[in-house]
Amino acid sequence: MKKLVLVFILIIFSIPILGGCWNQRELTDLALVLAVGIDKGEGDKKYDVTFQVVVPGNVASGQNGGGGQGPPVVVYESSGDSITEASRKATKKIPRRLYYAHTSIVVIGEELAREGIYNILDPMDRDPEFRTTTVVIIAKDKRAEDIISILTNLDKLPMNRFIKTLESAEAMLGENIKLNIDDLIGAITSPGKEPVISGFVLEGSPEKGTSPQNISTTRPPAMVSVDGLGVIRGGKLVGWLNNFHVRGAVWLLNKMKGTEIKFDFEGKKDAVTTTPYLSDTDVSVTFKNGKPFANVDIDTAFKLSEMDTDFDIEDPHKIEELEKKTSDVIKKEVEAAIKEAQKYKADIFGFGERIHKSNPKRWKELKDDWDNQFAKMDYKIQVHSYYRESGVRGKPFWSDMNK
Amino acid sequence: MEKAKITPKQLFVLVVLFEIGSALLVGFPVGLKQDAWIAILFGMAGGVLLFLVYYRLFLYYPDLPLTSYVEKIIGKWPGRVIGYFYIIYFIYIAARVLRDFGELLTSTIYNRTPIFLIMTVLILTISYAIQKGFEVIARVGELFFATVYLMAIVGFFLIIFSGLIHLEHLKPVLEMGWKPIIKSSIKETLPFPFGEMIVFTMLLPYLNQAKKAKIVCISGMILSGINFILATIINIATLGVDSFQRSPYPLLSTVSKIQLFNFIERLDVLFMIYVMISGFIKVAVFYYAAVIGTTDVFKFKDCKQVSFPMGILILITAMMIAANYSEHIKEGLVTSAVYLHLPFQLIIPLVLLGTAFIRSRIKKASEA
Repeated sequence: MKKLVLVFILIIFSIPILGGCWNQRELTDLALVLAVGIDKGEGDKKYDVTFQVVVPGNVASGQNGGGGQGPPVVVYESSGDSITEASRKATKKIPRRLYYAHTSIVVIGEELAREGIYNILDPMDRDPEFRTTTVVIIAKDKRAEDIISILTNLDKLPMNRFIKTLESAEAMLGENIKLNIDDLIGAITSPGKEPVISGFVLEGSPEKGTSPQNISTTRPPAMVSVDGLGVIRGGKLVGWLNNFHVRGAVWLLNKMKGTEIKFDFEGKKDAVTTTPYLSDTDVSVTFKNGKPFANVDIDTAFKLSEMDTDFDIEDPHKIEELEKKTSDVIKKEVEAAIKEAQKYKADIFGFGERIHKSNPKRWKELKDDWDNQFAKMDYKIQVHSYYRESGVRGKPFWSDMNK
Repeated sequence: MEKAKITPKQLFVLVVLFEIGSALLVGFPVGLKQDAWIAILFGMAGGVLLFLVYYRLFLYYPDLPLTSYVEKIIGKWPGRVIGYFYIIYFIYIAARVLRDFGELLTSTIYNRTPIFLIMTVLILTISYAIQKGFEVIARVGELFFATVYLMAIVGFFLIIFSGLIHLEHLKPVLEMGWKPIIKSSIKETLPFPFGEMIVFTMLLPYLNQAKKAKIVCISGMILSGINFILATIINIATLGVDSFQRSPYPLLSTVSKIQLFNFIERLDVLFMIYVMISGFIKVAVFYYAAVIGTTDVFKFKDCKQVSFPMGILILITAMMIAANYSEHIKEGLVTSAVYLHLPFQLIIPLVLLGTAFIRSRIKKASEA
C-alpha cells in the first residue's frame, strides 16, 4: 500500500515535467516573419527594419478557392540602433510574438549595403531560431522596405515569389546567384574570397505596389525583378555587375545551370541562339614569373534553340564553327567579368582562396596585398563547348520557301 | 563491490558510447582549423598507450577496482587519500558532462527552461539506473548502441546526399605545421576523451572474461576514435573552417544543414536523441565509478546507500561548476586539462604502475 502511494506521488510529480509545456508557444500567438528588410535609418536610429508577417487567414486556400479578403501579408516597420532593438520595438505594434524560423529572405537596402553589412549579419547568424538557409538579397537603388511591401501575383506570398524568381532566373538565365546567409558568411570569412549578392529592382511605383490593386490586374503597376549582382568588398557593396558581366561571373563560380548565347553567323547579325545546359568550370591558380596566374577551364554542352540563317546543321564543319562561336562568346563574357571584378579590386571568384589551399606558403606573402595583386592578375581562359542537339527540327521551316 | 558481471560485448558498447559521448559535442580541437582531425588521430594513439598502462595495473589486481589496489600498492592511508581524490575527480567529471548536456539543451531547444530542471530530470533517470546496478546500465548501453549507430549511418548518408560535403575545406593540410597539432593532441584530445578511460579501471573487474579486457577496450577506443575523426572531417567539410570554429556545437550545425528534396530537413532531433543517449551513458559511467569508489574507500556495505546522495552531489556540483557556458568550456578545456587530467590520468597511474612493478619484483625475489 505504502509503495503504491509513493508511486502515485511520483507520477503526479512527473506530470508538469513531462508535459513539455514550460516553453510552450501557441501557433495563434506567433507572428510568422517571412521576410526581413533592413535599411539605413532615416530618423535618428541606425537601422530601419521592416518585417513581412503572414496573415494566416488570408493565405489558407481550401478546396473551395479559399482565402479571406485582404492581402496575405502585412508589413510592420520599426527602427533601432541594433537589429535586436528594432525587432523588440516592433512588438509595440504587433499583437503577436515575432517568430523567425520561417524567415526565408533578408533584403538589405542598397544605401546600407554600401555602408557595410557585417554588423547586421551577426544577429541572424547567432539566433538559433533563424535558419542559416535564409537567402540574402540587396534592394538595388531602392530601400528594402519598398521591396518588402510589394504584393505579388502568381505566388501569393511575396517571399515565395522572390525565392522562386531567384531560382528560375538562376536556372534559365544565369544572371544571378541564390546565396544564403551561411554561404555569405563563408565567403566573407574565407581568406581570398569576396561574396556577391543578387540584387532586386522594383519596376513601377512602390506606392501602388502595396495595394491589392497590384494583384488584381494582369499588368501589375509594380513588379520586382532580379537584376545584377552586387560586389562586396570588405563587407561593403562596392558596385554592381550587370547583364553579361554577371553571366561571366556565374560561369567562373561554376554555378551556371543554363543561359542563352547568341552570335553572328555567316555574316548575319545575331543569327544563331544556343542554350548551354550543362557546364563545369575548373579554375586553378599557378605562378608565372612569380606572379599569380589563373587558368580557367570551362566545359559546356549546349543545344541549338533558334536560327535565323540557313545552314546545313548536319555538316561537321558548321557544327565546329557553332561550337567555336559559342565558346568565344562565353570566353568574352568571362573575360569581361574578370576585368570588371578587377576594377572593383574584389576577388569574387576566390582566386586567392585557391592559392591559400594549394600553396599556403605563397599565400602568406600575398594575402596582405591581395586586393591589388588580384587587380593586376593575369589569366588564361579556355572554353570547350559541345553541340548536342537542335530540338525536334533540323532545318528551319522557311529554308525551302525562300528558294 | 556489487556482484555484477558484464560481457565483453557490453563492455565494448559502453566504451564506444562513453568515448564518443560528449566528445562529439564539445571535444573538437577547433583551434587547429582544418587539421583538427589529425590531432584526434594522435590523441587516439596516445590514449591507447595510456590505456595499456591502466591495463597493466588491472593485470596485477584483476579483481579490484582502482581505489582498492591503490591501497595495496602504496599503503593503506596514502592509498585511501588518493582513492578519495579519484572519487572527487569522477564526481567532478560527471558533473562537467551533465553540465555540457544541460547547456546544450538550454541553448538550443529548451531556451526558456531552467538548466537546473533539465539536469534534475537527467540525473534522476541516471540515479534510477545506478540504483538498479551496473548490469542494467550495460544492458541499456547495448540497447542504445544500435539506435545510435543507425542514426549515425542515416545521418551520414543524408549529409552526403544533400551534397554538403566540400572536401576542399580540408585544405591546406598542415597550414600551421606540426607544432600546434602535437600541442593540442597532448592538451586537448588525449585527456578528453581518450584519457578518460581511467574510469574503466574501476569497472574492468566486472568483466566476466578478464582476458578479453585489452582487446575489447582498445578496439572500442579505436572505433570511437574513427567515428570522432569522421565526424570532425564531415563537420569541417560541411561547415567550412570558419563556422566550425565559431559554432559551440559544430555537429549540431552540420546536422541542421541537411536539406533533401525540400522534405527531409531540420533533423536536429536526430542529434538531440544521440545527445541524450550518450550523455546518459557517460554521466552514468562516471557516476557509477564514484559510487563504487565511495563504497570501497569508506567501507559501505551496499553501494545503493551511496548512489542517491551521490546524484544530488553531482547535480549541485554541475550547477556550481561555472557561472556561464564560456566559463564552463574554458575551465573544461584549459584549466582541468592541466591541473586535473594530467595528474589523474597520467602521473598517478604511471607512479602506481612503477611501484607495483617494483613490488612484484621484490615479492618474486623474496619468494625465490
